[in-house]
Amino acid sequence: MSKLAKQIHESDNVVTAVSDCQAGDTVTVKFRGRASTYRCLHDVPFGHKIAIRHIPEGQKVIKYGEAIGSASADIAVGEWVHTHNVRDDYKCLGKDGAPLPGQEEGKQCQSRGGAS
Amino acid sequence: MQFYGYQRPDGRVGARNYVAIIPSVGCVNNLCSHLEHLIRGTKVVRHDQGCLHPPADTVQVVRTLINLGRNPNVGGALVVGLGCEMAKAEEIYEGIKASGKPVDMVVVHQVGGMINAIAAGTRMLVDLVSKVSEAKREPFGLDKLVFGTKCGSSDTTSGLSSNLVVGEVCRLMTQNGGRFIQGEICDIMGGEYALKKLAVDPAQGEKIVDCVRDLYMRGYHVGADTRGCQMTAGNVAGGLTTLVEKALGANAKGADVPIQATLDYAQLVPEKPGRYIMNFPGHGFENLTGSAAGGAIVHLFTTGRGAPNGNPLMPTIKLCGNAKTMKTMSEHIDLDVSSVIAETESVEAAAERLYGLAVEVASGKLTKCEILNFEGMEILINGPVM
Repeated sequence: MSKLAKQIHESDNVVTAVSDCQAGDTVTVKFRGRASTYRCLHDVPFGHKIAIRHIPEGQKVIKYGEAIGSASADIAVGEWVHTHNVRDDYKCLGKDGAPLPGQEEGKQCQSRGGAS
Repeated sequence: MQFYGYQRPDGRVGARNYVAIIPSVGCVNNLCSHLEHLIRGTKVVRHDQGCLHPPADTVQVVRTLINLGRNPNVGGALVVGLGCEMAKAEEIYEGIKASGKPVDMVVVHQVGGMINAIAAGTRMLVDLVSKVSEAKREPFGLDKLVFGTKCGSSDTTSGLSSNLVVGEVCRLMTQNGGRFIQGEICDIMGGEYALKKLAVDPAQGEKIVDCVRDLYMRGYHVGADTRGCQMTAGNVAGGLTTLVEKALGANAKGADVPIQATLDYAQLVPEKPGRYIMNFPGHGFENLTGSAAGGAIVHLFTTGRGAPNGNPLMPTIKLCGNAKTMKTMSEHIDLDVSSVIAETESVEAAAERLYGLAVEVASGKLTKCEILNFEGMEILINGPVM
């Protein structure tokens, strides 16, 4: 069975697997009538992302034509792209451009409440 | 293409022809439900608000109920009050009446209890339904369509299929002169700067960012980082890596269509065609109510795992890109777009199907939530509740 992944915007450097992919699989990406193939370097489950361009550490990971975060390690073509190699850069910013309170490093996207 | 709708006195066109029963306060909900059961052609808009609010919430509740009564899917309305509430039945009655629709009112304290109110309300509804039922569907251009949108019980397929399909419909329907309402400020969080770039007027774009800031700070004051409330462990397991990624997938319901303005909750959408952002939450009950009050006559609701809820006054189309959900939850879903995931159909082709279905629904075809009576609603308040 051929493995498929979806590209959403032409400038994206990641695609999303819509098949469960195993390391070594050839993954086909159809975009605007053109099909490209990539060799998948890891097991990548349905819904997870695969790099289709080399993304050097610190560079933006692009999906929907927008930066969704930045590479926290060097990412090769065909690599699984997820929380282990992407940093979430998002902070809710005040009118002055400074982050609003309660978004300290290391607590990103964690609840401040409860027992934690 | 045309659709067949009901002309209203204010020039707007409806997809349904209900007599709405509108409680001014939650205290009279059951009384209103009794009336709905007694009289054919009526729809109650049950909610639990209307009293012991700070003034701003009372204003919001009254605005919402007036604008629900003015929604073009409503041909006439009966306002039911208790008599001591903050959201005054008289004010809601006058607000709806100004649109030229037939409207009546009964207040429990004035008529002396529920039994008298049911007797009076029943008689009023017989007259209202009789009058409203005279309306006939007529053909109208697609410029009269107003759609709302949201995503619920989302999964990875939402941002890869159903949301993109709705985004394409947003592009098509606004090109045809229609209006499109999107919101879910919690889902926009992380994608607010991408949306801001699409605002025709920079001040309106900044208002989107302000809505997100306000939501963040309100969470902060109750000890929550709302970024974390949005990004769940299930999202990460499903393949979403960052909040921005999730937000962009949600924003895709409007594609890159320019944004005309940012609206307050339940604010009437302006006349100008195009895409609007409304300050409503992701939670379906308050969200759908906001769209309906804004004037949406059909709602496009994307789901991955199968969110079944609809709004009593506004037919809600469910579309889903998850083939597994289509097997288990098809009784709740109106359109299968799993073909987009399987790459057997393009987003554009699926969007043509959705737009066609929305036109049929606007012309009278019932949605699954209508057929199943899987409907509910609530009005957004900001609190505190006294």
